[in-house]
Amino acid sequence: MKKNVYEPRYRYHAGTVAWILHRLSGLALILYLAMHIWVIHHLNRPLDFNNIMAFLNEPVFKILELGLWGVIVYHALNGLRIIMIDFFTRKGAAVQKQMFWGAVVLGVVVFAAGAIPFVGTMIK
Amino acid sequence: MNTKLVTGDSGVKRWFYQRLTGIFLAVLLIVHFAVMHFTGTGETNYQIVEARLASPLWKTFDLAFLAFALYHGMAGLWVVIDDYVHRDGWRLLIYSAAVLAAVLFFTLGAVTIITFRPHIVWFPPKV
Repeated sequence: MKKNVYEPRYRYHAGTVAWILHRLSGLALILYLAMHIWVIHHLNRPLDFNNIMAFLNEPVFKILELGLWGVIVYHALNGLRIIMIDFFTRKGAAVQKQMFWGAVVLGVVVFAAGAIPFVGTMIK
Repeated sequence: MNTKLVTGDSGVKRWFYQRLTGIFLAVLLIVHFAVMHFTGTGETNYQIVEARLASPLWKTFDLAFLAFALYHGMAGLWVVIDDYVHRDGWRLLIYSAAVLAAVLFFTLGAVTIITFRPHIVWFPPKV
């Protein structure tokens, strides 16, 4: 007898990709938040704190930081897209795919706006 | 199918708070990012953080940021666990561990912010 289990078939489209990325970026941000709290708690020992900050100035962490900025921008803008889908009940869901691409375009602009000055100070 | 760990509420409050805290976080993040990367030289060291954290306003800001971010993250994690972990025991175990970790990290963060005392001497003692 076939087990009575719901086996959804997914059709992958912009909305599906947006959902998967939102989930992955959210999990990544939880991980980052934990590490961030851990690093900042060294504020009670100024010398340790400055040593850690100097260590985090290594290029590899700067590149990771750039990645973090991308993940944040995506999660924030797609989050706003979800809010618009939920609250603009007449139009929101109907244009969710267009809003995904809108979020992507806006995201690239916002990412660049933060990343360009960041890379600027990095090279200096 | 999970039966025991269903709370019975529709989850509409959690749904609403997730969106509300999301908007708060977006606003706080803009301020945080602007202050961290668009003021000063863009670098971070003890002296820079100290000057900011000497102000109760920044302490309040950071505490709010910490609380909202952890709440939002845990609520999101709950949805993810809810989707993929179907056995009651595992669900309880994984989520309990996550909540415990969140409480510990909130305490660590809150203690760091609240008990922070700047080493800046605003009023040097008279000799």
